[in-house]
Amino acid sequence: MYQYDEYDRRIILERAQQFRGQVSRRLAGEITEDEFKPLRLQNGLYRQLHAYMLRVAIPYGLLSSRQVRKLAYIARTYDKGYGHLTTRQNIQYNWPRLVDVPSILDELASVEMHAVQTSGNCVRNITADHFAGIARDELEDPRPYCEILRQWSTFHPEFAFLPRKFKIAVTGAPGEDRAAVRFHDIGLRIVENAAGERGFEVLVGGGLGRTPLIGEVIREFLPKRLLLSYIESILRVYNLHGRRDNKFKARIKILVTALGIEEFRRRVEEDWEASRTPELELPDHEIARVAAFFAPPPYEDLPPDDRALGLTLGRDRELGHWLRNNIVAHKVPGYSAVVISVKKPAIPPGDVSDTQLDAIADIADRYSFGQVVVTHTQNLVLPDVKTSELPRLHAELCALDLGDANAGKLTDIITCPGLDYCDLANARSIPIGLEIAERFDRIDYLNDVGDVSIKISGCINACGHHHVGNIGILGIDKRGVEFYQLMLGGSPGNDASIGKILGRALAQDEIVDAVEKVLGRYLAIRESPDERFIDAVRRVGFAPFQEAVYGSAGSSDAGGD
Amino acid sequence: MAIPTHWIVTANFTEDGAVAWRRADGSWSRRLADAGLLEEAAAKATAAEAAQTEQREISDPYVIEVHADGTTIDPLTARERIRADGPTIRLRRPDPGASR
Amino acid sequence: MQIIRDRAIVDDDYVHVPDGVEPTPGQRPIVTLARLGKETEALLARFPVLGVRVPSDKLPSEIPALDRLALIAIELPRFTDGRGYSVARMLRDRHGFRGELRAVGNVLRDQLRYLERCGFNAFELTPGKPLESALEAFGEFSVTYQAAADDQRPLYRRR
Repeated sequence: MYQYDEYDRRIILERAQQFRGQVSRRLAGEITEDEFKPLRLQNGLYRQLHAYMLRVAIPYGLLSSRQVRKLAYIARTYDKGYGHLTTRQNIQYNWPRLVDVPSILDELASVEMHAVQTSGNCVRNITADHFAGIARDELEDPRPYCEILRQWSTFHPEFAFLPRKFKIAVTGAPGEDRAAVRFHDIGLRIVENAAGERGFEVLVGGGLGRTPLIGEVIREFLPKRLLLSYIESILRVYNLHGRRDNKFKARIKILVTALGIEEFRRRVEEDWEASRTPELELPDHEIARVAAFFAPPPYEDLPPDDRALGLTLGRDRELGHWLRNNIVAHKVPGYSAVVISVKKPAIPPGDVSDTQLDAIADIADRYSFGQVVVTHTQNLVLPDVKTSELPRLHAELCALDLGDANAGKLTDIITCPGLDYCDLANARSIPIGLEIAERFDRIDYLNDVGDVSIKISGCINACGHHHVGNIGILGIDKRGVEFYQLMLGGSPGNDASIGKILGRALAQDEIVDAVEKVLGRYLAIRESPDERFIDAVRRVGFAPFQEAVYGSAGSSDAGGD
Repeated sequence: MAIPTHWIVTANFTEDGAVAWRRADGSWSRRLADAGLLEEAAAKATAAEAAQTEQREISDPYVIEVHADGTTIDPLTARERIRADGPTIRLRRPDPGASR
Repeated sequence: MQIIRDRAIVDDDYVHVPDGVEPTPGQRPIVTLARLGKETEALLARFPVLGVRVPSDKLPSEIPALDRLALIAIELPRFTDGRGYSVARMLRDRHGFRGELRAVGNVLRDQLRYLERCGFNAFELTPGKPLESALEAFGEFSVTYQAAADDQRPLYRRR
């Protein structure tokens, strides 16, 4: 992974210093909350319902064991003993005190971490495929470009006060997009042109929230060396022309839709012609310098299959489920990627305790070259585990309550913090997720239903990504009472689709029953156990599911409340 | 007959972000039950003034409508009830019981 | 009135002249963009040192006589309105503007370093804000990652 040099270190230390000064001035009353708010947001510090919330940046989700231990230490010392993994591969703390945040930033800086630009109207964490570097279907590792973009965007002086937040994602696997690039303000796909040259397909204007949209291609092939100058032009056109009159119409997707992709492209390329300088080109040596940090670890030369594993399967059913559901094929023979599911009934999805974090750091050291990755589904990945060591690893994870075999299954739920925590929320999302997880916590049922994603958001800001859940739930407020919209058919990957609302909003005591009815109908109508939930929905349409939930008479118009 | 409502002023403490309710004497409490009851116009004026003058102690004051029967104060919305009572879910993962 | 120019506190030698008021000879007036558009040659003839005040939604192409102006003041109506940062950078990089580039409006100490990097060299801080401590803002960061108006070379060309 990337190692800071003296420049990187100095930038982060100076930033922590700067924020310490800003906090002092706030506490002394020298600046108002109104003036302080954009400053603290640019350091990832929100204020939620009950406390501040600090969102720590984890660039493209990658952590060293040393960093994981520090995150545990911070949870223990400055918070209530846990952290929360987010849908953009970051971690957040829900209870820091403002007076302590400068010290927390110092602690983070000591392990090359920070909370820069994880909030505010600026460029946010650059996210990537959580199997970057190891996936069999990968054309090229996206992480060097994520790191280059991270440095480019950090404290970029021209784009610190955009109309709204800006999110970039990069994928290096053409076959399956695990970074959801089509739902980002800028999405980058590493591609190869007819001449065998590698570059980027650039997508723009995707996003969720009030106006979910799938991004459009602004440029089919961008040579690598032109990456930064082109991205700058996109940002500049957005900075100059994005709407600033209405917070809910301020993302770049609104501008792209209003202008149309042709006109938007024309403006970007016009700016690009005028602004691209030779200095702004990315030289090969810089790409090589950064890529060297992501060189493969010292893999052993191992046979492709561990036959002993097959014998273990027969003996241990739980291990068998876990091997089937949580293990992902690795491009190096004899190695596997492991999904650590932190999802468990009674635990808010994405929450990890300090003791678990410390244990995960040890496990990463012993099993995975000291690295672990946060996924945008609020789980963790150990990227490089010897296949022969999987049974032993499974036993250790189970002892930590981290061995559930539900990766990608029904109880691998994404929820935003919702009204239990968040100032923006209209309804609670975590209790709905917990109830679903509890009701369906039977491995045979999970395996029978197969791959399905449930994503729950507590408000239209869609931090739970409900638009792209196979089953999406959106909490709404009806005169101070929590209600829930149920939608089906969303998907974040290459087969991108936005879910549609099934019918009228449901009360809190109806929504989980409704999910059960939807699942029951799926099991009844699927062509075979191999037909996934999302495929069945696309095949038969919404009517059978509407009928299951609302009855033949009571569906009202989809598009609901 | 509709239950009469009152208005109270709430904010968050600047130092730690915890919820704050304004007492009748102008000081700020961490307990909803201590909130001073006001008429709507007076509450709004108080909040506006506090926003200007009390930045050091609290941030972003605003007003909410509540039911009050002399013993308890009950906000009208789920959001404000949760603000008063805390998250409705268990906070910290329990440590797993088995040895490592 | 005092302003910050080139990282020092100085007395302002310009005067903002609103529409409808006549600038007096010998002044260094800063006139509105609308007025400059209507009276370009007349103003330039009478005032060899001339400035213009540009609203936040205007682009460099909408400023007449760029190469003959001594000062361009870009408005930041709210400090969260970031358009001026791009306009400044375009004026410096693309249009080669060498005169004084001044940030006016809701300008706070914590934006100064970013503004400077985008090409501003003068600042009228929001009234009521102390200037001396604002100067500290310029020294807060000794390293920058990306190219901007102050240095065309990204860090990877300076490492």
